[in-house]
Amino acid sequence: MNSYDAIIIGAGHNGLTTAAWLAKAGKKVLVLEKRSVVGGACVGNDAALDPAPFSGGFLRPDIVRHLKLTQFGLNPAPVATDLISLLPDSRQLVLSADPVKTAESIAQFSAADAAKWPDFVRFMDKAAATLEAAYATPIPRLPKFSPTEGLPLAQLALKIRGLGARDMYAFIRLLPMSAKEFLDDWFESDALKAAIASLGIHNANLGVMSAGSAYNLLHQYLIRGGWGQPANDLRQVIAALESAAKAFGAEIRTSAEVARVTVENERVSGVLLASGEQNSAGTVLCSADPKRTFLSLVTPEPLDPEFVWQVQTLKMRGVTAMAAAQSAAPLPAGTLIVAPSLNYLERAYDAAKYGQISEKPYLEITTAGNSLSIHFQFAPYFLKNATWNAETRAKLESIVVDTLETRLPNLKSQIHNLKSLTPLDLETAFSLTEGDPHHGQLALDQFFFMRPIPGYASQKTPIAGLYLCGSGVHGGGGVSGIAGRNAAKAVLKGSL
Amino acid sequence: MLRTTPFHPRTSLINQLQNWRRWSGYYTAGLYEMSHEREYWAIRNAAALFDVSPLMKYLIEGPDAARLLDRIVTRDVQKMSIGQVIYTPWCNAEGKVLDDGTVSRLGETTFRMTSADPNLRWLNLNAAGMDVSITDISDQMAALSLQGPKARVILNRCAAKSLDGLKYFRLMENAIAEVPVTISRTGYTGDLGYEIWMEAANALPVWDALMAAGHDYGIAPAGILALDVARVEAGLILIETDYTAAHHALIESQKSSPFELGLGWAVNLEKGPFNGKQALVAEKAHGSEWMFVGLEVDWVGMERLFHEVGLPPQISPLTLRASLPVFKGSAQVGYASSSTWSPVLKKYIALAHVQKPYFEIGTDVLLEVTVEHQRKYAPAKVVKTPFYEPEWKKK
Repeated sequence: MNSYDAIIIGAGHNGLTTAAWLAKAGKKVLVLEKRSVVGGACVGNDAALDPAPFSGGFLRPDIVRHLKLTQFGLNPAPVATDLISLLPDSRQLVLSADPVKTAESIAQFSAADAAKWPDFVRFMDKAAATLEAAYATPIPRLPKFSPTEGLPLAQLALKIRGLGARDMYAFIRLLPMSAKEFLDDWFESDALKAAIASLGIHNANLGVMSAGSAYNLLHQYLIRGGWGQPANDLRQVIAALESAAKAFGAEIRTSAEVARVTVENERVSGVLLASGEQNSAGTVLCSADPKRTFLSLVTPEPLDPEFVWQVQTLKMRGVTAMAAAQSAAPLPAGTLIVAPSLNYLERAYDAAKYGQISEKPYLEITTAGNSLSIHFQFAPYFLKNATWNAETRAKLESIVVDTLETRLPNLKSQIHNLKSLTPLDLETAFSLTEGDPHHGQLALDQFFFMRPIPGYASQKTPIAGLYLCGSGVHGGGGVSGIAGRNAAKAVLKGSL
Repeated sequence: MLRTTPFHPRTSLINQLQNWRRWSGYYTAGLYEMSHEREYWAIRNAAALFDVSPLMKYLIEGPDAARLLDRIVTRDVQKMSIGQVIYTPWCNAEGKVLDDGTVSRLGETTFRMTSADPNLRWLNLNAAGMDVSITDISDQMAALSLQGPKARVILNRCAAKSLDGLKYFRLMENAIAEVPVTISRTGYTGDLGYEIWMEAANALPVWDALMAAGHDYGIAPAGILALDVARVEAGLILIETDYTAAHHALIESQKSSPFELGLGWAVNLEKGPFNGKQALVAEKAHGSEWMFVGLEVDWVGMERLFHEVGLPPQISPLTLRASLPVFKGSAQVGYASSSTWSPVLKKYIALAHVQKPYFEIGTDVLLEVTVEHQRKYAPAKVVKTPFYEPEWKKK
């Protein structure tokens, strides 16, 4: 039996961030990964060609700096790619990091909107910075907390106030709004509003008219660093994290499935592998989602049954499917979306409400050379009167191809090697409960001090020494490393 | 609309006052005759037959059955032998009592739990991640309680197998009137007594056989009023009277730990994790602020209070399920939650919650009583419970 300062379950981007962060602080760290490859939801099975739950993303700049990831092969912060909305009349709306270029594109649809664009981006950047500060703020256990725990909260409140009265109200008001209502306040062009609103439903079981989709919009904008997906290869992010963690002294083991987190006297004592091997550690950080963590990785005895019930009722409800393919014909560069109108997106979501696969889906296509990665919504994990099987997969794939054909004519005859991930695949192959890439919906009742569970947003769990470091906690959702970083900081601040 | 128990065709015919009370959604007899006195004396001198079918009953089966119950209750279920019954409270994560009842080990992986409140949700919550099946058998299973010094001889007259070898808090499979029954040596009277468990559909022949076998011994069907006197004499607590279930408490101070209810003997802090363990370990270390004790009222002192207004003592023959403040000098130090005249002891007794340090045995306190519409203070002493424990209870 080997002994460690900390054992991290899962070598996804958050697990690796935590591992590298703790190893850099001199801790003896072991990372255990069930799959034969590291990277979690960022990396498909055959690293080169298979689809993964995430087709793009980057780590927060402070993580890149702290872990010196550029020394480990990571390109410095990439610019977000252009978000290109492919419209049915073959026009394109391009949202770019360059405001002048974007305003020109918007002017095709509305001169007034084009004029407002710089103001809108300025607001979004301020709001995103505020959200990032909120994500970096350790959330104490409400309502009782010590003054030292309350200090960061007070600092956050000051930061929000620092937005100035108008933006402060706009920021707070934004959070519970629907993406549609939020954008109606700014713009008149439906095509423009739909393109922006697509971020609001990305990986969420929400429509553009659902409360809280404006918050998800801001969240996506923050972690992407703009409109399209970051212009980098996720595999490179993972490779850099892995190299950094190893260089700092972390031990990473793949094909090492964890059977149980072991608990003695209400305190974590280590981890039992499926192979029967036991490793001991006073601190265990689990990057699996909260359901998997509390309902299968720990025995229920030390947990309050009411807490277990709250875990059982967490909303996962994945609605995302992924596909990857190669094309013989050249592909446009950037992040291409099929999101022509607000109504189109809302209809796509309607299907999910009724347990059906959207016939006219929201697609986000990222391209790299002749490869495409396709993000598909809505494909609900829970299908009505059907399950995810060969038949429903074939239906999903045919909708993907047919929808692509409406925007990129003749692509159908050019693409080959199409592979898909249904929400069930996300669960079985990537351990994402109910196929939710966010480890729990980023919904109004599951965010900030309520993520994952009211009272437990501080990475700590009811079991002493057990921490959550995955996407399911405050700050998590998508690729950013925030949850992994926060967990490492929380552990270092504690007794370890 | 309340439901009727499987014995209603019999009990409804003999309930002279048609005095019915509500118990878990069922009609249950308050008393059968004009007064509950004969029913009470049947408990203490002969045998009384209670219809206890409204008890909540759960069948817990599967490889993790013992593990589930051990996680819920405060006593060690893993150590139970097959055929053993335990009385136990169970707590929430804060170590506050949710309910109390019995757990019977019917087999290696089969248990029956009885409770006062519905517990299906709680059982299922606790079973997350365990290989166990939980069935609410409350409606399928009828139950009778035969209590009193003649209970054994009556059962021996009508049961297929002799009860002589059945020890206190053990159970056996048996048959009465050819109906398969489980008989446990348990009860709620502090006397010799048995509880008889059977399929609801086969209930009536069992009632008839017991009544026939008990006729010569003075068996009496008995209701809640008589039971309430006997259980206070036995020092047995009643949910929502002597304590508030933590799930129903409106404020923190209404909740009680098992230690505060005098059930410390039923808390095993040596076993593995169970609900409330951490809180109970801490409470044990610090000592409890409250204790549940017996109070024996000084009869001469009580008589004097009535004499002052020119009356002989006016004492209700019924158990009072109401809060009576308990004082030390002029300071309130607790409250009695059940109080009664004990006919067998010829004493006025009470079950009371008393604060540290006044719960020590032998402490003199005052119990508030109302004499001719005025508040008076009767001298009383903290005593050990049970107040009444006949030698034949466990023999």
